[in-house]
Amino acid sequence: MPTARLANSVLGSFRASSFRPALWRQRCLYHSYEYSQPAPFPPAESAILSSAIAHVPNYGFTLDALKLGARDAGYLDVSTNLLPRGVFDLVNYHLVMQRLALKDSVQFPAEGGQGNGKKLGIGAKVRTLTLSRLRANEPIIHRWQEALAIMAQPSYISPSLAELAKLADEIWFLAGDTSVDTSWYTKRASLSTIYSATEVFMTQDKSKNFAETEQFLDARLEEVTKVGGFLQAFGEWADFTGHSAVNVLRSKGLRI
Amino acid sequence: MPPRLPLGAHRALSSSPSVVRVHLQLQRRSASTSPASPEIYDVVCVGGGPAGLSLLTGLRASAITSGLKVALIEGQDLQKNKLHKDASLESFSNRCSSLTPASVKNLQEIGAWSHVNAARVQSYQEMQVWDGVSDARISFDWDSARPLLSARKPTQPTTIAYMIENVNTTTTLLSRLSALGGVDVFSPTKVESIELGNDTEKLDLSSWPILTLSNGKKLAARLLVGADGANSPVRTFAGIPSRGFDYNRHGVVASLKLEGPGWGGPDHKIAYQRFLPSGPLAMLPMPGHMATLVWSTTPERAATLKSLSSKDFIAMVNAGFRLSATDLEYLHTMTSGQEKEVAWREKHTPVNERSIPMKVVDVQEGSVASFPLKMRHADIYTGERVALVGDAAHTIHPLAGQGLNQGQGDAAALVRTISHAVQTGQDIGSVLALESYNSERYAENNAMLGVCDKLHRLYSVESGPIVGLRSLGLRAVNAMGPLKGFFMDRAAGRA
Repeated sequence: MPTARLANSVLGSFRASSFRPALWRQRCLYHSYEYSQPAPFPPAESAILSSAIAHVPNYGFTLDALKLGARDAGYLDVSTNLLPRGVFDLVNYHLVMQRLALKDSVQFPAEGGQGNGKKLGIGAKVRTLTLSRLRANEPIIHRWQEALAIMAQPSYISPSLAELAKLADEIWFLAGDTSVDTSWYTKRASLSTIYSATEVFMTQDKSKNFAETEQFLDARLEEVTKVGGFLQAFGEWADFTGHSAVNVLRSKGLRI
Repeated sequence: MPPRLPLGAHRALSSSPSVVRVHLQLQRRSASTSPASPEIYDVVCVGGGPAGLSLLTGLRASAITSGLKVALIEGQDLQKNKLHKDASLESFSNRCSSLTPASVKNLQEIGAWSHVNAARVQSYQEMQVWDGVSDARISFDWDSARPLLSARKPTQPTTIAYMIENVNTTTTLLSRLSALGGVDVFSPTKVESIELGNDTEKLDLSSWPILTLSNGKKLAARLLVGADGANSPVRTFAGIPSRGFDYNRHGVVASLKLEGPGWGGPDHKIAYQRFLPSGPLAMLPMPGHMATLVWSTTPERAATLKSLSSKDFIAMVNAGFRLSATDLEYLHTMTSGQEKEVAWREKHTPVNERSIPMKVVDVQEGSVASFPLKMRHADIYTGERVALVGDAAHTIHPLAGQGLNQGQGDAAALVRTISHAVQTGQDIGSVLALESYNSERYAENNAMLGVCDKLHRLYSVESGPIVGLRSLGLRAVNAMGPLKGFFMDRAAGRA
């Protein structure tokens, strides 16, 4: 990989980052176990950002944290300029890394193995994964409102939402959901809503070990199950009503 | 094909009774010579329930259709399951239905109603329906439903419907049927298989359903009528899909004894129905002090109710009409001891005793049972040489007590369709001849299914603006006599 060779110099990283969208984007649109995903960030960026994250608890999602991170990684303060979106890149780094860490941090017992007790349902897996992702915010939770404010800036809304969608997709994928109907969309949409609401709730949560956040999440998930049940029943009813309307017209001699 | 010609001609002309007779004789002869060939019938009815029996009685009773050769196949022993003439009036079957005046009129027309065990039939003149959450109430009786400013006509009927045990209905129809005679009854006999016949040298039965019975007999049906219940094998044979859904509710039934004949006395019986969020709870009057219960509720609660001792069960039924939905929810979580709990709670719940049924004092041993509630509607009632009646065509929520009446309506309509086909010389099994049956009944049954479904859904709501709106609607209808009269006419099948 040519970029890897250049990566040692700041200049190299700078060039790499300037055409990052082309090179560092995921290079195929589907997921495959056969194909190892490339690292999400170029090495230099990665080095600066990972060091900067360590300063977030003290300095927040600020340029100061970025500069300190750059110094720790052995770069000049000015090298933070290779992050064109500044602090948002720091927030984004946290989001991406925590999303990717999810598959390693949560391990479900293998299907069909002579495990302890009963198998976890997909719903329970989604809950565990969501909770695990929320817990990953724990070290920086007192600074998370700053991050939310940054993400809410007009130019960053769209990449933030995209990242949220990727997280919801990751959770459903890891939970083993294989739906191929319209519920694929509704599941991801509802989980995104729940996750973002719970995340905001968590920033205000003062309870021990975030017990209230857990309750909040459970309540929202239950609501979705109820609404899902209602929608399914409604679909069933609508299907019946549609057919019976056609049947009534047919019984009256209409050739349809 | 010279050998086939005479039979073909008969088939085409089978409308005239005289020709039918010749045709039947021919068939009998051929059946005796070759045992493998099926015996040919004009109408074969599978299922000896109220709808099937009503259809056959209607066919036999009419001069136009009495020439048809008909057969009845029933899996259970019809003679054994008959109601005894001198059965005790202290004990009633838990399977009861309300017959609307329209259904009774139909039974009178086919001459069956005079055979009914009248002592075991109870007419009721008033119906009290109220909302279990808001207590909004509507009272159905013909007197309050008359148009404004017009005096009550002496000829106006006072009866809303007749409560009758299902076994009484079938016994009544069987008595009339055996008085009429002429039906080949195969009972108890099961249908082993139904398939299409073959095209042989003599006969082309390739479009005819051939039934193989458990006694080895084979019947060919010019018209096969499926009156064989919700899981109809005839419907499966015809390949007619049946759509719908399960309500996730069970209907708990029981035969009860009340402390008196009811607040209106023996001549003015009242039916009660309370719409609880889990489903409607209905108490319908039977002769004397007896009553029958239909409680639609969740499967879990139905299981709890069935497991209770009779004292606790009685307490729960009394509580069902008196206590709030919240109290009831708690009572269902107890496994026993409801009697004491209800007695205590009743002291603190003021109710107007005269507006709810009299207290239950006894439940008939072994009469508590439950069945799942569902809604099904076949896509079409007719096919080539096939017609569906009753539950085979549609299954309805029992909250309005319309299931049996729909079946009676189907039977009467099919009799009319068959007579018209016979009169105009059509093949009674052809899709064309049967079309009018489907067009007459489908929309009507669909509307009734829809109304009961909507009512069920409307009253499953426990809180929120819907409760206020439905209560307002109920009170408004209660206040408007003519509108109420319209609904009562519809429910009575008189529209």
